[in-house]
Amino acid sequence: MAKCTIDGREVEFVAGTNLIEVAAKAGIEIPYFCYHPGLSIVAQCRMCAVEIEKMPKLQTACSTPATEGMVVKTRSDRVRQNQKSVMEFLLINHPLDCPICDKSGECDLQDQSFKYGDPYMRYTEERRTYLDLDMGPVIKKNMNRCIHCTRCIRFGTEVAGIHEMVAVQRGSNTEITTVDGRPLETDYAGNYSDVCPTGSLTLKDFRFRKRAWFLKKTPTVCEGCSRGCNMEIHQDANVIYRCLPRTNMEVNKYWLCDEGRFNYHYVNQEDRIVLPTLQAGESYQPTDWNQAIDQAKAVFNGKKLAILVGTDLTNEEAIQLQTFLPKQFGNAPVFHFGTPGIASTQDDAPADQILKRKSRTSNLNGFEKLGFKGFESLPAGIEAVLVIRGGRAEIPKFAAGVKVVGLGVFHTAENPGFEVVLPGTSFAEKDGTIVNFEGREQKLKRSINPRGQCKQLPEILMMWMNRGMSAGVAS
Amino acid sequence: MLVKAKTSGTQKFYLVEIIKGLYITMRAMLFGKTVTIQYPEERRDYSDRYRGMHYIKATNGVENCTACMLCPTVCPAECIHIEAGERPDKEKYPVKFEIDVLRCCFCGMCEEACPKDAIKLSTIYEMSQTHREVFEKDYLLEQRGNK
Repeated sequence: MAKCTIDGREVEFVAGTNLIEVAAKAGIEIPYFCYHPGLSIVAQCRMCAVEIEKMPKLQTACSTPATEGMVVKTRSDRVRQNQKSVMEFLLINHPLDCPICDKSGECDLQDQSFKYGDPYMRYTEERRTYLDLDMGPVIKKNMNRCIHCTRCIRFGTEVAGIHEMVAVQRGSNTEITTVDGRPLETDYAGNYSDVCPTGSLTLKDFRFRKRAWFLKKTPTVCEGCSRGCNMEIHQDANVIYRCLPRTNMEVNKYWLCDEGRFNYHYVNQEDRIVLPTLQAGESYQPTDWNQAIDQAKAVFNGKKLAILVGTDLTNEEAIQLQTFLPKQFGNAPVFHFGTPGIASTQDDAPADQILKRKSRTSNLNGFEKLGFKGFESLPAGIEAVLVIRGGRAEIPKFAAGVKVVGLGVFHTAENPGFEVVLPGTSFAEKDGTIVNFEGREQKLKRSINPRGQCKQLPEILMMWMNRGMSAGVAS
Repeated sequence: MLVKAKTSGTQKFYLVEIIKGLYITMRAMLFGKTVTIQYPEERRDYSDRYRGMHYIKATNGVENCTACMLCPTVCPAECIHIEAGERPDKEKYPVKFEIDVLRCCFCGMCEEACPKDAIKLSTIYEMSQTHREVFEKDYLLEQRGNK
């Protein structure tokens, strides 16, 4: 492999890699703002300029591929002086907003100003200010904080495939805005906030809810569709505050769609059923586990039963159900369900050209591999249904008179009209494996404790079995 | 090891020693300087830097605090709870600002961390209560301080 020297250290590299990546591999940090590994290179922030031997001027590391025998200095006096000057220019118009700004704590500008900048500023004139523009429901814009790195513009054109962010005016009057001031249209708008190196584009959903340094991060997988994008759940005190994409070049690269990003809301939603409940007339009555299980058994007693299992459950849960269901319910038919109209992986197809897929549940492929049959309609003569799901699979409509018992995550707002609800756990509250559309097995990781009296599926199944035995009820 | 104190004859006589002791007491009582004060009527002067009851400084009736959460971050007793919100005249302000005083150790680090000169420890030291007290925002906003 070719070799170059960075800061006196010999570093091997693959031809064509730029200096930022080569240096990062060797553990040498070169600061940058406008460079992003997933976007094209523009070299306009000038922060990454480094000294290269035999070149008269500083070169931007992001746009310079490493070559054999190249000698690079990233810490020389000239480089440091340049970094200091670039920081000073970037901060000329940047407001001292950090106490208010949601980005502080994870802000590139803040970190690098601290590391490479000068604590003193010579600028005494008035700073430029802009009126803010509403950018739709996802992104809150604050143009005063912008440093014109154009990452958002490049993300829109290159990844989201929509040229909606533009830079208008010139020089220090440059303003990043949308075409004609329209709200953002893309389904990937949350990524604008991720790529922004300052607090210029922040999430409205996360606005002022928590400071970044309080959040505990759990690497997990999105359950929004059969793609299975890698993401991180950020929680504090058992409340999820946001989900951010986690880099996986083979699945989602650096991105996450808005549906997956904001999917976590149902976990902490007010109306989630977190206690075992019985239906009394129109409303739900909380009860205890024993009573709820007895009632569920009474509902099923002597009736012809079908079982629907949501494809938002994990493989582990599916296997447990495969052993449990025949023992308890004989040969009652078992189907998997998730998205209306998608009964098997044959029906699953990309929903757009980026990440989203048509199956809106994450484990369709896993269930099919385990031999579950897809749900299309209930067989004739079914009088009762047991619905087991994780919170995302869409509950089908049942004919009037069919008694339904729910096991898993349900909301009163959905008003499914169930006889009994046994509260289970959502994707953030359990460990497990899901299989995405290409057969890649990925791990869900538990990030928060189950709410209320919600229990893991194996625990509920054990209670169901033991209750039957002690009460002497034939199962 | 047992050591026996050597006592002289007058010490053994006892009465002489009593009178000696009473003389010292009487001298201090009648002619000495008093060290106690009549507390609620009289008060001692404390340093201006004394760290007593908290308050939030306000400028023109608007609290200085922007809910940046640096004080709960730095607080070693974890006694400050803030919830941030938005209102038309101020981009970010504390909707809830509570200090659990019983947990507070009056280290003054919140005051030091505050970038907006908002949270302050006044020189008020009379804070005894008959019930467990959490200082709410309205109470903290009373400008009782001198800093």
